[in-house]
Amino acid sequence: MTQPTNSRLSAFFSSNRAALLTLLALILLPFIVGMMDGESPMMVFANESGNSKFAQGLAIEIFILALYALSFDLIFGITGMLSFGHSMFFGVGAYLTGISIKTFGLSLPATLGLVFIAAIVQAILFGLVLPRVKGITFALVTLGLGSVFHIVVMSSELGPYTGADVGLQGVIVPAFISPANERLRFYFIALTILILVYLLYKRFVDSPTGRVCVAIRENEGRARMLGYNTFYFKLAALTLSSLTAALAGFMHTLYQPIVSPNIANMGFTVTALLIILIGGVGTLSGALVGAVVYRLLDFGLRRYIGESASFISGAVYVLFVLFIPFGIVGTWKMKSLQIKQGWQRLQKLFG
Amino acid sequence: MNTFLRKNTVLLITLAAILALFIAAAQGMEKKDFVITLLRGLSVGSLTFLVASGFSLIFGLLDVLNLAHGTLFMIGAYIGWTVFVRPDTFVDLLTPLALILSGFALGDVYPLLATRIRFGLSLKRILPWALVFTSILLFGWILPRYPIAIWNVGNYGQSPVTYSFMADSGTRLPVLPAAFTEISAPLALIGLLLASILGAFGLALFNNTAQPLKLNWKKFISFAILLLVALLTFIFNDSLTAALTGLSSNWLFVIAVLVATLSGAGLGALIESTLIRPLYIRPIYQLMLTLGMSAIGIEIVRAIWGRPEFVMPKPAFFNGSGGVCPATNFADWWANNCSTILLLDGRVRVYNEIFIPIVGVIVLISIWMLLQRTRLGMVIRAGVQDREMVEALGINVRRVFTMVFALGVGLAALGGILAAPSMGLSNAMGESLFLNALIALAIGGLTNYPGAALGSVLVGLIQQFIIKYGQIGIAIPFTDIIFKPTPPLVPASTVLLMVIILLILPNGLLGKKE
Amino acid sequence: METILDVQNIHTFIGQYHILQGVNVRVPQGSITALLGRNGAGKTTTLKSIIGLTPPREGKVIYEGKEVQGARSFDIAAKGIGFVPEHRAIFRDLTVEENLKIAERVKGDYLRKRDFIFDLFPDLKRLMTLSGTALSGGQQQMLAIARALVPENHLLLIDEPSEGLAPVIIEHMMKAIQLLAKDSTIVLVEQNFLVASQLAEYYVIIEEGRSVQAGNMKDLVNDKAAIHRYLGAA
Repeated sequence: MTQPTNSRLSAFFSSNRAALLTLLALILLPFIVGMMDGESPMMVFANESGNSKFAQGLAIEIFILALYALSFDLIFGITGMLSFGHSMFFGVGAYLTGISIKTFGLSLPATLGLVFIAAIVQAILFGLVLPRVKGITFALVTLGLGSVFHIVVMSSELGPYTGADVGLQGVIVPAFISPANERLRFYFIALTILILVYLLYKRFVDSPTGRVCVAIRENEGRARMLGYNTFYFKLAALTLSSLTAALAGFMHTLYQPIVSPNIANMGFTVTALLIILIGGVGTLSGALVGAVVYRLLDFGLRRYIGESASFISGAVYVLFVLFIPFGIVGTWKMKSLQIKQGWQRLQKLFG
Repeated sequence: MNTFLRKNTVLLITLAAILALFIAAAQGMEKKDFVITLLRGLSVGSLTFLVASGFSLIFGLLDVLNLAHGTLFMIGAYIGWTVFVRPDTFVDLLTPLALILSGFALGDVYPLLATRIRFGLSLKRILPWALVFTSILLFGWILPRYPIAIWNVGNYGQSPVTYSFMADSGTRLPVLPAAFTEISAPLALIGLLLASILGAFGLALFNNTAQPLKLNWKKFISFAILLLVALLTFIFNDSLTAALTGLSSNWLFVIAVLVATLSGAGLGALIESTLIRPLYIRPIYQLMLTLGMSAIGIEIVRAIWGRPEFVMPKPAFFNGSGGVCPATNFADWWANNCSTILLLDGRVRVYNEIFIPIVGVIVLISIWMLLQRTRLGMVIRAGVQDREMVEALGINVRRVFTMVFALGVGLAALGGILAAPSMGLSNAMGESLFLNALIALAIGGLTNYPGAALGSVLVGLIQQFIIKYGQIGIAIPFTDIIFKPTPPLVPASTVLLMVIILLILPNGLLGKKE
Repeated sequence: METILDVQNIHTFIGQYHILQGVNVRVPQGSITALLGRNGAGKTTTLKSIIGLTPPREGKVIYEGKEVQGARSFDIAAKGIGFVPEHRAIFRDLTVEENLKIAERVKGDYLRKRDFIFDLFPDLKRLMTLSGTALSGGQQQMLAIARALVPENHLLLIDEPSEGLAPVIIEHMMKAIQLLAKDSTIVLVEQNFLVASQLAEYYVIIEEGRSVQAGNMKDLVNDKAAIHRYLGAA
C-alpha cells in the first residue's frame, strides 16, 4: 500500500524538482539573506530592519508584478486578446482598496469583497465591447477605456478620494499585516497567494475552457466553427484576469503606502507586456521569470545608471523583440533538448 | 439612392447626431467665440491629421501599427527647433550624418559581394556579428570625439531653454564654434565612413534570404553624392554656418520645416529597413517593437535636449505687431505681418489658426493626388489589398514599403515642426497628439484616408468646443445650473466619442465593412 | 526544342510544412505545359516557387539559362514572367484601366499592348473605368490574364483559369490562351482535365508534392490507368 504512494510521491518530486527547489529557496530567502548579513533567524522573525527586510520588500514587489503579469498573459498570451487597457484592471483594485480603507474605513475582508465585485463589473464592461470589435480595434477601444480611467483618476474633482496627480496617500494598513512591522508575514502571504493563483492558472489553461481559449488565439473563426460561442470563453478569461489584476492592485496598495496615478497609465500596461515578453508570451511561468528579471534589471539600472535607466530597459525590450521573441521560458522550452545535448557533449569531453 | 440610404443608415444617423451636437454647441456661444473656436478646432485637427494620415498610410499598406508615431512627431519638432535656433549645430552635424548614411546607401551591393566571397560555415556565422561589433566600437570611439557645437543640458546658461528664450526675444546667443581637438579630422572622417560600411555590410549579412539578381548602379551614385555632401559641408562648414545665421527668420523657418520633414522621412526609412522589416512575419512583435521604440525615442530626446519645456519663436512673417495690428483687412496684415487679425470681432492668431489649417488642407490634397494620380499611389492602393500579387508583377514592394513608412514619418515630423511654435516643445507633446490621432483614426476608419481627415477635424473641434465651454459654461436646458467642463474632460470626451462610435460602427465612420 | 524553364528537384516549405518534396518540370519554348494533379498536390505552390513567392529551400529553377531560385520575386518577374494567380487576384480598389497600367514594367507598355489586349478581350474595353469590384467572375479572369500581357513576358504562369466559370466563358478563355501560346510559353495549372488536354502539348503530374509523371499530352489521353490513378477522373 505504501509502495505506490511512495513511487507517486517520488515521481511528483522528480518531475517538479525545479519548481519545488525554487519554492524552497523562496521560503528560505529571507533567512539566507539575513544570515549573509550576520542576522540570526530570530532577528529576521522580529522584522528588524536590514538587508533581509529589504530583500523581502523587493521580493514582495516582484510577487505583485508577477500576479499582474500573469493576469495579462492570460488574456494576451493565452487567449490572444491584445488589451491596452490592462493597467485599468490593476488600477481599479489599487484605488478601490485605498479609498475604501482610507475614506470609508472598511475592514480588510469587506474591501477585498468590494474589489472583487468591481473586478467582475469591469470585466463585464470590457466584455460588452468584445463581440463588436476585434484585434486592433479591440486594442484601441481598451486603450480608450484605460485612458478614460486614468483621466478620471487624475481629475481634480475626485482629488479628495484619489489624490489626483499626487496619488492616494495615507492608507492605514491593519497592523497584523503592516508591511513595515510585519513584513515577513506579508512576504509569506504574498508568496502563498502567488503560488495559489499560479496553480489555478495552470489548472485553467489545462482545463477544457482553457484549451478553447488557446484555440481562440490560434484561430477564432475555426473555434467558432467547431461550435464554441467564443464570446463566453473570452469573457471567462477576461473575468479571471480582471480578478487577478485587481487582487494584485489590492496587495499593491497594502504594501505601498502610496498609490501613484502612474499605475493607471498606459505605461503600466507596457510594463506587463514587457514582463511577459522577457519571460515568454503565453507560457505562464514566463510571467514569473519575467517579473523577476524585469524588477531586478530595473532596480539595478536605476541604482547604477540613474536617469537613463528607462532608455536601457527600452533597448533591452527592443532587443528581446528582435532576437529573443519567445522570451526566456519560451526559448528554453524550444532549445532545452539542444542545451541538454550540448551539456552531455561537454561532459563527455571532460569526463 | 435608396440603396445608398439603406446601406448607410447607421452612418447617416451618426453624422446627423454629430451635426446636431455642433448646431447645439453653436447656439450656446457668441459669434466671435464660435469663429475662434472653430478655427482653433481646425488647427488642432490639422496637426492631428498630419500625424493620423501618416499613421494610417503605414497601417494600410504595411499592416504596422506604428505606436512610435507620436514620438517621431516630437522628434520632428525638436530637430526643426534645432535648425531654427541653432543653425551651427545643424551644420556641424551634416558631415558625420552624411558619412554614416553613405555606407547604408550601398544596400544591394553587400549581398552580391557576400555571394562572390566563399566563407567557411563557422566564419559565415561569426562574420556579421564581428562586422557589426567593430562598427559599433568605431562609432563609439569617434562620435564622442567628433566636434559639434553643442549646448549643455545641465548648464542653464548654455541650455536649450536659454537659447530658445533668447531667440524668442529676438537675440541669438553667440555661437561657439567647435574644432577638431581630440581627434584628427581625416581620421574621424575616414573612420566614420569605414564604420558605416562595416556596419551596413554586417547587417546585410544577417538577412541574406533573397538576393538581387544584378547590381544597381544607382546605389553607387547615391553613395557618391553622400560622400560629396560630407566633403563639401566639411570644407565649407564655417561659411555655411555664417550664411544660415545671417538668414531672416522666415527663410530659416522654411529650412527648418524642410530639414525636419526630410530627416523624419530618413529616420522612417531607416527604422523600416532595419527594425520593422525582419518582423513582418510576426505582426504582434512589430507592435511591441514600435511600443519600445516610442519609449526609447522619448529617452533619446531627454538625453539630448533635456526635460524642461521650451518655446520656439514664430517666424517674423507671422509675428509682426505695431500700429494697425490686429489687422482688419488683408492689405494691413500683408504690410505689417501682424501676428493677429480681427475676424468677425474675434482676435485670431494668424500662425496657429490660419496658417496651420492651410498647410493641413494642402497636405490633404497633395497626398490625395499622390494616391489617386501617380503610379506610386496606384501601387500603394494595390498593395493595401494584395502585396504578393504586386510583387509578382515585378514591382519591388519592399521599396514601396520603405517609401510609405518614410512618407508617414515625414508627415508626422512636419506636423511636429509646425506645431512647435504654437504648442511649444516638451517631452510629452507627442503622446497627447498621438492619442488624438489614434482616436481620430478609430472614428474615421483606420485605413481610410478621407476618414483620417474627417476624424481629425472632429476630434479637434470637439476638444476646442469643450475647452471653450469650460470657460463660458453650458446652461443646461430647463435649469439654472451652469455646467463648466473641466480640462480633464477634454481628452475624456473624445475618447468617449470614439468608444461610442466604435460600438455603433466597428470600422469607424468611413471604414469599409469586412 | 529549347528549354525556357527548367525546374530541378525543388523542395519548398510553407511554415514548417514540407509542401514540395522534389518537383521537376521542363518547359520547352513556345509550348503549353499543364501541371496536373489532385487538390492540394502542390501545383499552385510549384508556380509560386518558380516566381519566388514561396522560395524553394532546395533545388534549382533555371529560367532562360540562368538560376533564379532564391532571388526576390519582383526580380524574377521582371525577367519576363507573368503570373496569373488562382482566384484571379485583381485589385478591387483599382479601375480596370489602372489594373492594366500597374503591370507596366517599362513606361508605355500599356499603350503598346492596349489594342492587342482589347482584340483578345473586347469586353474589357467597355469596362475600362469600372472598379474591380463591379466585374463578374469571367471578366475578372480576363482582366487577370490581360494584366499579365501588358509587359513583355516570355513565360506566363496561369493558375486555374477555368475555375468557377460558365462553359461558354471557358471556351472563350481557351481560345484566348491558344492565341497567346503563339507568342509566349505557358505553364498552366488546371483541374479540369478536359480543358487541360485540349490546350496543352505537355504535362507534368504532381502527386503529394512530387512530380511523378511527365510527357506528351497525347500519350496521357490514351493512358487511362494513369489518369485514373493520379487525377481520379475516368
